[in-house]
Amino acid sequence: MRRSPVAAAVIVAGLVILLDMMVVNPSLGSVAGSLQELLVLLAAAAALGGTGALAARHLRGVLQPGSDRLGSVVVLVGMGAVLLAGLRPGSNGADDPIVRWLVASLLVPLITALFALLFVFLLGAARRGLALKARESVVMLGAMSVVVIFLLPVGGAPGDWLAAGAGWLRSVPLAGVFRGLLIGVAILAAVSATRVLLGFDRVDE
Amino acid sequence: MPNIGDLVGRLIRLVVDALGESSLRLGPVPTLVILVVPLIVLSLVARPERRWASRDLGALDHVGQAMARAAESGTDAIVSLGSAGLIRATSAAERIQTLAAVAILDRVARAAARAAVPLRVTVNDPILAFLVRGTLARAHRQTETVERSARSTVDFVGDGRPIAAAAALTDARAHGLSITAGGLGEEGLLLVGGMASSSGWSVGGSASPSQLAAPLLETHGTLVGPELFQAVAEAGGAGRARTSVIAANRLILLAVAVMLLGSAAVALGAHDFAAFLVGR
Repeated sequence: MRRSPVAAAVIVAGLVILLDMMVVNPSLGSVAGSLQELLVLLAAAAALGGTGALAARHLRGVLQPGSDRLGSVVVLVGMGAVLLAGLRPGSNGADDPIVRWLVASLLVPLITALFALLFVFLLGAARRGLALKARESVVMLGAMSVVVIFLLPVGGAPGDWLAAGAGWLRSVPLAGVFRGLLIGVAILAAVSATRVLLGFDRVDE
Repeated sequence: MPNIGDLVGRLIRLVVDALGESSLRLGPVPTLVILVVPLIVLSLVARPERRWASRDLGALDHVGQAMARAAESGTDAIVSLGSAGLIRATSAAERIQTLAAVAILDRVARAAARAAVPLRVTVNDPILAFLVRGTLARAHRQTETVERSARSTVDFVGDGRPIAAAAALTDARAHGLSITAGGLGEEGLLLVGGMASSSGWSVGGSASPSQLAAPLLETHGTLVGPELFQAVAEAGGAGRARTSVIAANRLILLAVAVMLLGSAAVALGAHDFAAFLVGR
């Protein structure tokens, strides 16, 4: 089988990290530590490169007719505001009060608003699912409805019965399905990783 | 004057000293088991032996047809590799889903290159952006369509899971085909829904158990749980060596057999093997 130098480097680095997890050796530990520091440096450089690429793309968007100029301007102004607040002389960087205010007062509410759309999107997804794959969607939505009924805030003896039913649903069928999925995912992830390491997944077109 | 014998002797001493300084974190037997047994088992069960005619996982066999329709209608294809990324702060189980999604992208990129359909890949991890750029370039080289490579683009939309979802929701253009594969978080429904709603045909796949509703409800083709990894074998083997399915089935049967035998042994009053294996 033919391997590229990059793949060989990946395998060697992976084996060093794996060995360091099992063997206590100062030299091996320092090599593994160096590799992890290199990874952090690489990630930092990539983050800088990614930020530059994002800014360049939106700068092009501002200049190109027919593109989403307003969106690009908003992104660039946002990036500029955070950079200015974090890098101005006398700033405390990420802990600067202005940066923290920008995050707490603008970013967090925006993200919260985005997640608030989930309920609406779930209803839309249910409608779309019934149109695309009626049988599977009916089963899934039926199961969801049963769970919702069991979780209804009802008092008295019926409420106790529903609560007990909800507990049973969570601990038996739902836990069983989740564990089955996790076992399947773990096995196939291991098989996939082995296939990559042993060169089985080479492209043969 | 130093000679080759001295050099070899020093190297041997260096190795011996290094071994002398070492100790095993887990002890010899568990280390040997961890290193050797899974490798032998997996290399045996994952070895290609025969052809496998599985069902069309995720309707990926329709990708070529969807690309042809996109070419006719003058639209593009869009791919999102989930929101987990490769170096973002997330679990290894999610990162390996991203790698599986890159393998699926490899197949999709070749189909797009052949059909002359512009392909746009959105990522929220800069390292992944480099990997995807290489994947797209290789797809054009393999299909001898290097002159079309400028039409395949990678967009780093910014860091963070909500950013990926917001980018998908705010994309107002119509696409011929959309594929969302990889690790998903709580924003999964928004990401998959945003991608699928503007597309003529869509595929969604994830092995994140809590986010499976999104691909199940929103997309035409679905890769749920282990299917995401099974589809990788289909894509890599191009239909000729679908061995990951065989390997997984063997392992699952083995796991079931071990569980049944262990349960029977415990029921008959024998030693609890599960407790022994987990060190209780």
